[in-house]
Amino acid sequence: MAKLTVEIVTPEKRILSVQADEAIVPGGRGLFGVRPGHTPFLSLMEPGALTLIESGRRESYFVAGGFVEVGNDKVLVLADAAEPVTGIDVEGARRRMAEAQERMKGMSSEDARFELEQATVRREAARIGAANTARA
Amino acid sequence: MASLRDIRKRIRSVKNTRQITKAMKMVSAAKLRKAQDGILAARPYATMLDQIIADLSARAGDESLSHPLLTARPVKRVELVLLTSDRGLAGGFNSNVIRRANRFLYENTNLESIRLSTVGRKGNDFFRNRGQNIRKDFGGLYQRLNYRAAADVAEELVASYLNGEVDAVHIVYNEFVTAISQTVKVAQLLPLQTLGTPDQASTAGSTSLVDFKYEPDRQSVLDRLVPQAVNIKLYRALLESVASEHGARMSAMENATSNATDMIGNLTLTYNRTRQAVITKELMEIVSGAEALK
Repeated sequence: MAKLTVEIVTPEKRILSVQADEAIVPGGRGLFGVRPGHTPFLSLMEPGALTLIESGRRESYFVAGGFVEVGNDKVLVLADAAEPVTGIDVEGARRRMAEAQERMKGMSSEDARFELEQATVRREAARIGAANTARA
Repeated sequence: MASLRDIRKRIRSVKNTRQITKAMKMVSAAKLRKAQDGILAARPYATMLDQIIADLSARAGDESLSHPLLTARPVKRVELVLLTSDRGLAGGFNSNVIRRANRFLYENTNLESIRLSTVGRKGNDFFRNRGQNIRKDFGGLYQRLNYRAAADVAEELVASYLNGEVDAVHIVYNEFVTAISQTVKVAQLLPLQTLGTPDQASTAGSTSLVDFKYEPDRQSVLDRLVPQAVNIKLYRALLESVASEHGARMSAMENATSNATDMIGNLTLTYNRTRQAVITKELMEIVSGAEALK
């Protein structure tokens, strides 16, 4: 059976390039699965857990938003940041989330930084969520 | 003529200096390697992003793609961002950027205003000492140079472009050519100039021209792609600048080390000559003293 080639890259480095049977991606409108032969498309990606299934084994990565391009049995994941869920520093994520929430307290929703802080909160919450799926 | 003791002291001091420049050269060589790895590691993402954007504009065909960051407007107010280093002793690295920035200021006096902002202490010090107004110093970026930090700077610049404070943003930086050569470059960061030319489009993109789907829709994807491309452009310029800095410092220190070696050679020669002269003089004194006793 045909396999997918999955590549995850971040601005800082190439995280991985592997073969897989299926990829489950946190898209802009919820999770979507990609199998070989999928129609080509380009989607936004939200922070969350990206799961690869290879010979029945599941492997998950946390991705911090970005883009996914699917075409010719290739899945290109351009993430702002990515890491294996097993390596997530949950304490650090909690701390960053709390700090961002703290900074947001004094801001009005029109503040230029407001959206950025909000994005941080969402990202870190997704990171913690991804870490929890690893344990479950 | 300098006394033997003076020359000895001089030689010792030059040797110490050479020790330091040699050490700095080796440190820079190590840092340069790391910085070069950083440039290489950033390449796949940048290439793929360019590819996606090129494919997207190729597929769009005649339909116009519009995005505020792509739309040029009459340029009246410009922001110039200088990428210099925090430390000196890197040959012409910082002064080249500063000279280029000054030229930019001269050449564009017809503009309503040019704002300066700096990354790196050296550029900031130079213009502050000359009483130039610096809008913002993005300090401390080099201590934690990662994509996020670069994106924060880029987002700030994008915000001032979007709210009309400036009509264009340029960056001056050292482009990394090889370990021993850098060229100063002025690049336009905003508005973003090219969206990737159609001939760059991959075959994967063109074969599926017809029913390519966008999730949620093409405009939303574009709205996220364009700022991302700006961030990446700045991030790469920063990486290049850092690699150039270490390359420039490495060759500057290499030169300093070999100059010190030459100097030690010359001083040693002078030292030996002086020593000889002193011995000869003493001998002559003894001989003539003995001659007088006869």
